[in-house]
Amino acid sequence: MSTDIQTLKSLDLFADLNFGELEQIAPLMHLMKVAEGEVLTRKGEPARTFFIILSGNFMLSFKKERSFTLHNKGNIIGWSTVVTPFRYTGTAVALTDGLVLSMPGQEFLRLIQSDSALGDKIMRKINKIVSERMPYVTGTWRD
Amino acid sequence: MFGFEAIIAHDGLGISVIGISVVFVSLILLAFAVSQIHKIIALWDKRHRFKKPRQKKDQKAAPVQDPTVPQDIQRASRQFKLLIEWIGEPFPLPKLLYLSEKCGLYRPHSTINELLKCELIIPDGNGYYVWNKEAEEKRSST
Repeated sequence: MSTDIQTLKSLDLFADLNFGELEQIAPLMHLMKVAEGEVLTRKGEPARTFFIILSGNFMLSFKKERSFTLHNKGNIIGWSTVVTPFRYTGTAVALTDGLVLSMPGQEFLRLIQSDSALGDKIMRKINKIVSERMPYVTGTWRD
Repeated sequence: MFGFEAIIAHDGLGISVIGISVVFVSLILLAFAVSQIHKIIALWDKRHRFKKPRQKKDQKAAPVQDPTVPQDIQRASRQFKLLIEWIGEPFPLPKLLYLSEKCGLYRPHSTINELLKCELIIPDGNGYYVWNKEAEEKRSST
């Protein structure tokens, strides 16, 4: 089932997109139920799916078992789908039942590459998230 | 008698009209049935909505505590605190999850989530977690 525009508009990642851009994304996103304990991504595996949390709680773990948890609507999992080398940097586990929007990584990447305006808006947001999460991936925090 | 004459004589035209009608009516009915399948599937998907009121009635009749819900966060916190003491602080959350699963603690994922929500487990800012003694004391005093 594809997603409605209003749901997408309410997500921080797509907040800057106009109606036409959201219309391009909507058919690619699919609602998915997640069960407690379900693993969405595994560290080191090819990043094939991008996820946006609608509800539920998730734990992301990285090298040396560093981790953080996600609890809010609009949080994303799987930014590696649009960043080289397209492999998940962390393992995502559902701490509770929840709902996520999933999108095939290749289609997401194709969309970003084919529409520069849309790609720029989304990548700006993703880059911000990547920079916030990078310390967990690398294990180096700036003071 | 052959050909068209034989067909007319044996009421062949009428029979073929009936035959064609039967086939087409069947096809129409089949198409209608197929077009309604999505409604049956939608009803099937929503079956839990119809079940819920009955479950509530059952619960009223025999109030049974649901052990799956970490109502007793106090007890869960004691169990997890022991594990954390064993791991040492600051501890990695995945390790706590792994050990709690190994120890057979009930629904470790959602319990850890509850402990995070209660701030009994808090991040140390470096990707690891610590046990929040202040929150524990606050909880035990109230």
